[in-house]
Amino acid sequence: MKQHVGPQLTAYCYGELAPEEARQVGEHLLACQRCRQEYEEVKLGVDLTAQLPARPAPPSLWGQVEARLEETAAPARRGPGLRFAPGWRPLAALAAALALLFVGAFWYFSRPERAARPPEVVRQPAPPPVLSPSPSPPDAGRTPSPPRRPGTRASFEVARLDGSPKVADSPIGATGRLGVGEWLETDAASRAQIQVADLGHVEVAPNSRIRLVTTRATEHRLSLARGRVEAQILAPPRLFIVETPSAIAVDLGCAYTLEVDESGGSVLHVTSGYVELEGRGRQSSYVPAGALCATRPGVGPGTPYFEDATGAFRAALGQFDFARGGARALDTVLAAARRRDTLTLWHLLERVDAGERGRVYDRLAELFGPPDGVTREGVLGLDPGMLERYRQHLRWVW
Amino acid sequence: MEENERQLRLTVAFEGEGGGGGVVTEPGALMSEQAIDGRVIKACQEGDREAFRLLFEAYQDRAYSIAYHFSGDEAMAKDMTQQVFLKLFTSIRQFRHDAEFTTWLYRLVVNVCLDEHRRRRRFVPFGEAPERSHGVARRPVEEHYRRRELAGEVQAAIAELKPKLRIAILLKYFEELSYDEMAQVLGCSPGTVASRLNRGHRMLAEKLAHLRGALYAGE
Repeated sequence: MKQHVGPQLTAYCYGELAPEEARQVGEHLLACQRCRQEYEEVKLGVDLTAQLPARPAPPSLWGQVEARLEETAAPARRGPGLRFAPGWRPLAALAAALALLFVGAFWYFSRPERAARPPEVVRQPAPPPVLSPSPSPPDAGRTPSPPRRPGTRASFEVARLDGSPKVADSPIGATGRLGVGEWLETDAASRAQIQVADLGHVEVAPNSRIRLVTTRATEHRLSLARGRVEAQILAPPRLFIVETPSAIAVDLGCAYTLEVDESGGSVLHVTSGYVELEGRGRQSSYVPAGALCATRPGVGPGTPYFEDATGAFRAALGQFDFARGGARALDTVLAAARRRDTLTLWHLLERVDAGERGRVYDRLAELFGPPDGVTREGVLGLDPGMLERYRQHLRWVW
Repeated sequence: MEENERQLRLTVAFEGEGGGGGVVTEPGALMSEQAIDGRVIKACQEGDREAFRLLFEAYQDRAYSIAYHFSGDEAMAKDMTQQVFLKLFTSIRQFRHDAEFTTWLYRLVVNVCLDEHRRRRRFVPFGEAPERSHGVARRPVEEHYRRRELAGEVQAAIAELKPKLRIAILLKYFEELSYDEMAQVLGCSPGTVASRLNRGHRMLAEKLAHLRGALYAGE
């Protein structure tokens, strides 16, 4: 074979060529230094690609897909919208440009006649929407949200539900805006609702104090200093975050309540989907629907547990997490655990001392055995892959 | 539809609590691609949510792996995987059995990846590569950690490739599609597939030439 074999080299490396063709490529490589050099590059690339690990999908995905399916199945709140075939896009853009030109010319030439009219006659453009990546790509024919103009202050809309909530120390009317850095406060008789871009809303209970930290395409973050909020968010995971003095609640597509007491401790109660609670220097807690998780300042998130866990189980877990309950509290937790409480036991694997880990694993495996490929030795060694596989396996009983 | 005709639920009896335990629907643990047949797809087309779930469980890891390595970001990969299955479920009625279901599915995966790339690069950096350490070859670390670092470097380098080269490499590696299948999924000729794979792998080799020693150490 005299012709160079560059285009066939990847197929050669992957064993895709027919035997005769592969033989010819092989012979050519023996004789052609240029192709041999290229082959070595391609082979290195192929071998490097083979280092990529397969990534199992996270366990929360089905819940999020199902939630969005529900939304799709619900009666459409919006009209079907216009859809243009790809070839029509340029024409549609041209038509829009011409329409704008026409409107602009009309406005320009009609100014003298309109000069005496009050200024509100001239329509102001709507404030630019806060950017947020929508869960699905924009439909053909739909204009994506424009980027926020420099100097335009980002804010969320706030609606008064009861009493007189205040933003930046000033009472709002029926609605108001909560700007970045501003506090929303409710007294004992007030409630308010924050519209979180186009992702959902957060209801703020009486006696609460909450601040908008940031709102941008990749993150919307509130800080709850005290009080209680109820969040309902339908968004890609990790787009909506609520800080508290003792932990950070990262939305993985869900609904939840979060309550912060005067000491800065908080309790998270997830009613749909999953929330991840992060704390400085401590393992994150994955809190699924029906579960709660307490946090304490200086400690971070405790261990999540299901709301229907027994009183003894919950009390012992509280002792273990926040009162140095140690082995005694752990004994009670393990003894009182039901199959569903494997949520708690799985989290405890990384939180107990190495000497106690075997007991936790044994009880966990007794309640719901590990999947294939997950071994006691691997879990006790805190192998991240095995822990994750076990967690995914356990979600069928959570 | 008759219940025995559908047979979509996989059931498994759990041992443990309460002795024999109950019969619990458990699609994930035992789910495999083999379990997805024409009946499941037909049930999906009729709007059966349990069938959707079976389909999801069978293919979620493959879709997620490609989305993850394509975007280089876990959150984006989750979002993209969601998009794939939402598109799949909302358009599955249009699927005709004259095509391979997996080809159709991978075409959705590719479209979502490329669409997301186009959409997100207008707002935020997409597929921004994690920083590479350039030190793998020299450090005498244990095999496990060496492999993990190596994988991290490869992932970062792949994230820097052009989207069309990146998706071709990921489809080839993770799905082991033939050139003809890839051509169908990517909507191009097998020759173009070969060209993209060649360019992609050579660029990868060029970016990661310093890892040659680490990669082939111990061989």
